[in-house]
Amino acid sequence: MSNVLRPYLAAVRSTLTAALTLENFPSQLVERHNKPEVECGTSKEVLLNPLMISRNENERVLIEPSVNSIRLSIKIKQADEIERILCHKFTRFMMQRAESFIVLRRKPVKGYDISFLITNTHTETMLKHKIVDFIIQFMEEVDKEISEMKLSLNSRARIVAESYLTAFNT
Amino acid sequence: MILLEPHNTIIVTTLNDKLLKPATLDVQFVDYDGVRFHLSTPDRKVANIIHLSMNIRCWNELVRYGANEVLQREYGSLILDAPEADYNVTLQLDLEQIPQDQESRDAFIMSIALFKRNALAAPFERAFETQKELESSSSTSEGDLMEIHYRDEEAIYIRAAADRVTVIFSTQFKEETDRIFGKVFLQEFVDARRQPSCQNAPQVLYNNREPPLELRHLSGLQNTEDTGYVTFVLFPRHFGNATTAGGTISHIQLFRDYLHYHIKCSKAYMHSRMRHRVAEFQKVLNRAKTEVATTDRKTASGRTMLVR
Amino acid sequence: MDVNFRKIDIDAYDEDVLHESELYEADPRDPSQVLSEAKAKSASVRSLLSKNDISGALSAVLESAPYGPNVEEAKIVTLQTLLTIINTTKSTEISGVVKSLPQDDQDTLMKYLYKGMAMPGWGDISGSVLLGWHEKLTEVAGTGCIVRTMTDRRTV
Repeated sequence: MSNVLRPYLAAVRSTLTAALTLENFPSQLVERHNKPEVECGTSKEVLLNPLMISRNENERVLIEPSVNSIRLSIKIKQADEIERILCHKFTRFMMQRAESFIVLRRKPVKGYDISFLITNTHTETMLKHKIVDFIIQFMEEVDKEISEMKLSLNSRARIVAESYLTAFNT
Repeated sequence: MILLEPHNTIIVTTLNDKLLKPATLDVQFVDYDGVRFHLSTPDRKVANIIHLSMNIRCWNELVRYGANEVLQREYGSLILDAPEADYNVTLQLDLEQIPQDQESRDAFIMSIALFKRNALAAPFERAFETQKELESSSSTSEGDLMEIHYRDEEAIYIRAAADRVTVIFSTQFKEETDRIFGKVFLQEFVDARRQPSCQNAPQVLYNNREPPLELRHLSGLQNTEDTGYVTFVLFPRHFGNATTAGGTISHIQLFRDYLHYHIKCSKAYMHSRMRHRVAEFQKVLNRAKTEVATTDRKTASGRTMLVR
Repeated sequence: MDVNFRKIDIDAYDEDVLHESELYEADPRDPSQVLSEAKAKSASVRSLLSKNDISGALSAVLESAPYGPNVEEAKIVTLQTLLTIINTTKSTEISGVVKSLPQDDQDTLMKYLYKGMAMPGWGDISGSVLLGWHEKLTEVAGTGCIVRTMTDRRTV
């Protein structure tokens, strides 16, 4: 883990750990329903203060806690057009497989690139610290993956251009 | 395989097959840029007479720039006077007339497989000739601008001047990813000339959206964010003698296909990377799942308890 | 038939409906008074800082910090004052300063750190400074401090 990124990820880790104190909480409005309160937003008393952790305007995490669920949204760093399209492709690819990622939300919250929704069922069936590990590792690797993809695109483009142009010499 | 081949592989393999084992055949296939081919034996009983027909979208333009003469030179009497319906030009091959020794046979089949390349070569050859004329008469005027609309929304423009031949490709990127990837690739084409290995290569210029000066007067150009213009400036050293000229023509014709082929390859590579990475994430998440301990519960008498 | 009535949120008219103001006790002070207090604190913090008394400055600004509605201006002044303090503190001193604070002040400081991070690019907010403080504060005060920030309705 790079040293610049460490405090950022540490802050996300501690905040997420603090937020992941969820309990079963049936809906107060509809009988026999049990919904993630953070998504319904119908009862103010069970929603907690949303917290934002940011390195700068382009890299931030929003954690919205509630009594039985939390929503974590990530804005991934995108320096230019290429990174933007690669990031978009990557997050879209993941969100299309949200079924197998359990805690992943199918759509990001507005203004963010990817969102996770963790409910009390998830914290009951899975190990809490491992879920936190997963989120942190995702944040770490997604930046790396995008910059690697960008590098490989550039080097491929260079080789392609050179071999096309050198062929004129023969 | 980084570079694309100018010939059509289907023609080569099919003809080689039929030489070994003559039989009736009727195949239709396509090449780059929507060029259609039809390879058939018109008479079911005579298996050694094969017709190869080709349909090119921009045939009328190619004829205007001398495609018929070039094909006549390459194929001579093989060309039928009346092409097959729906096609622009038809060659008639007699398998029994094909040279017997391996080397000249291969050369013959290769020349047939270069059918499309030869048809498209006409405007380039004409441009090279015009350049020579202009150079010898030391005139400062320029040759006519030749337009070849080889695809629905894309075209090649060729213009000869006294010291160079300019070839301009207009490109369209239908999708945003293609557009951005294309930009990266084209930028590298422009920059690659700084490499020592590419010093002799033609100069490449890239304009996004705005057509280059040579094309400003044309009407009907679509100048959206998706359009780009790639200009190749060919100098006499690229077409000085017949061999280099031939190589340059085969090579430059395939520029668009080459570019798009590699864009698609990059996308495929990105996709496989993403698959791999997502599988890795999946593994990390799976570590979070608790294993449900399934121990057998026994009753006092020793029988296993079952949950119903 | 008019069906618009179906879209009316009838729960809002319920007798037991919960209002924002019922979630916490309102600040007894008058908004204008809060603002003048915040400005006065800002001045005293500056003099404390010149004497290099960082923990004194911090507890001064965190003491009875403005909260609740109608005091946006006072909140901004206080945030600005706090930012001056944390931006001038050396990173080696943070731990000691944080340890010397009483728990209530630690909680308020955490609230301000999150408030600062929620406004990236505003004023002289530096993400890395805030993250550094956040890390040190969490070490000292534990995750409980973050939980209290989340649950306390008296937002700063």
